[in-house]
Amino acid sequence: MSKQITIGPFHPELEESVYFKLEADENRVVTKVNVINGFIHRGMESLVTKKNFMQNLILTERVCSLCSNNHPFTYVLAAEKIAGVQIPLRAEALRVVADEVKRTASDLFNLSMLTHLAHEHDLMKDTLNTRELMQDLKESIWGNRMDMSVNQLTGVKYDLNDETVKTILDTATKVEERVLKLREDYNNSTSFKDKTVGVGVLPHKDALEIGVTGPVARGSGINNDVRVKAPYSLYAIRPELQPKVTLFEEGDVFARAMARFGDILEALRILKDVVSNLPDGKTYLEKRPHIPAGEAVVRTEAPRGELIYYLKTDGSQKPVRMRWKVPTFTNWEALKVMILGDKVDNVTMILNSIDPCISCTER
Amino acid sequence: MSTPPVKLFRINTGSCNGCDVEFVATAFVDKFQISSMNVELVENVEESNLLVITGPLTSKSESFLKKYISKLKKPYAVVGVGTCSISCGIFRDSYSINGPIDKFIDVNVNVAGCPPRPESIAEGIAKGIKVLELKSEGEETPQKIEQILIGFEAPKKFRGRMSLNETICTACRTCETVCPSTAIKITKTQNGFIHNIWHNSCCYCGNCAFFCPTGAIYSTNNFDTVKLQNEKFSDLNTGIINLSTCSSCGESYMPPSSGLLGKAYIHNNLKKLNKSICSKCRKEENFKRMYA
Repeated sequence: MSKQITIGPFHPELEESVYFKLEADENRVVTKVNVINGFIHRGMESLVTKKNFMQNLILTERVCSLCSNNHPFTYVLAAEKIAGVQIPLRAEALRVVADEVKRTASDLFNLSMLTHLAHEHDLMKDTLNTRELMQDLKESIWGNRMDMSVNQLTGVKYDLNDETVKTILDTATKVEERVLKLREDYNNSTSFKDKTVGVGVLPHKDALEIGVTGPVARGSGINNDVRVKAPYSLYAIRPELQPKVTLFEEGDVFARAMARFGDILEALRILKDVVSNLPDGKTYLEKRPHIPAGEAVVRTEAPRGELIYYLKTDGSQKPVRMRWKVPTFTNWEALKVMILGDKVDNVTMILNSIDPCISCTER
Repeated sequence: MSTPPVKLFRINTGSCNGCDVEFVATAFVDKFQISSMNVELVENVEESNLLVITGPLTSKSESFLKKYISKLKKPYAVVGVGTCSISCGIFRDSYSINGPIDKFIDVNVNVAGCPPRPESIAEGIAKGIKVLELKSEGEETPQKIEQILIGFEAPKKFRGRMSLNETICTACRTCETVCPSTAIKITKTQNGFIHNIWHNSCCYCGNCAFFCPTGAIYSTNNFDTVKLQNEKFSDLNTGIINLSTCSSCGESYMPPSSGLLGKAYIHNNLKKLNKSICSKCRKEENFKRMYA
């Protein structure tokens, strides 16, 4: 006998609103998955065409607060590609610094949500407290805990001095120690492993077929990190910065969590490398560019995977069209493979394991 | 233990998830003092009596929000977290936004910020609990509640409430142009300009401060953004920029600010330049000096 079960749209275990209609058999194993989306649709693609290029620096940031640096980053890369602007080397480095700080904080938040949903309270508190170190760093240097407001056309809005570089290095070292300890704790916790190993499996073949990106792909043994495959910004100028990602073959919730740990450690390594070798020079070009008519496509690696921006301009102060493909868009399809045949009680945990960014996807 | 815990339920009506993430941090990190407030997170909206709502209310969420509201039992208090829950903020002009939420439910406490600091969210919840207590005793919601949580500080660089230095502002409207959430409005009057910043629409991005040519608009690290609903529209920063009278012809004119002149004439003595005459008289004087 099958039973209809609904989860959402407003549910304490769901960070963002999404509506699940599941069918399950008597053992509470899911036999049919139906996901209803659209709760976070704010009409972003229409909004960006109503605002000018300066306003869009901030509006793209509000697409999603967890990858809030990657959106403006990719947007300015696209605008600069159309304008044909070469930005100073120091600005490139500062952009990457902000990006890696954000990546660390975002992945740590996802891990703490995962342990929260697995009811591992102590691990969750530890992870969240480690994330607080990054949050305090962001607040003391960039002025906000989530939206750093770093990028602008032709450069960045902030600069680092010896004191702030030292703060970043100290925090990165401290976080690295704690992350290594956390990874050990996750591996040693049998109760956590019981709940996550073999749960929500995405086999390598399905992962390839669906075209998943980011840590979800890495958890299924695929490396398609944009920073390696199509390096941009400082990753292209200094290839030694490109992350040496950790791959896992299992494709379950636990493997994806471990892939995120690999990402965090690489991000911290890149962060430390860049701030210790900051190039001199200006942080932005004094002359603001005129954005001529044109089209550009740019892709970068967000904390969740590949982010693609398409920008079309006509020489006016506002974009004609802006469209983006976000990592969750492809990873979302994988959910149907992951959830099917698993327990109903695991659904929110599996959903969390792809690190869904619904506000990016539905925008 | 005599008083039952306050039962909190969170609804995300379409936020960018910043407020929701910060809410989780507020709830589970000890330093934000939520654990001392006797609050319990509940699974069902029916049991709850403190509602935390984030997001600008997308059209698809609207019917569900109404359904959830109808299940609530009185007395209850509502806390709106984030600028977009108060005034839709940056998303206001979109076709798919039906908010703000106070069209559909009586909001008691507003926490502005994009996203607000966990300290502010905790303060908002504390004020919500206070309102709830008063409501269950059958009392009216007060006009103002004093700061409840104390001892929180913000770092010096924190982007808090914006402020304006009227003496160096020239009402050039750059801030109005770059502000993504239309929080700044400059109105022309007979004697000059009125510069308003509405803190409940501001997304605290610092764009205006970055692009301001004279540095007149700046962010303070003041994060006191938790206000009651009756203060929603009065929470403004108003600056009055006066016109000057020309000492030569007596006409009113907008004097160039020292900040702007300092940018234009980096090698000159500003005191000599900044005679209080309008641009028309200055041109005339220059012409006479050179050709007469």
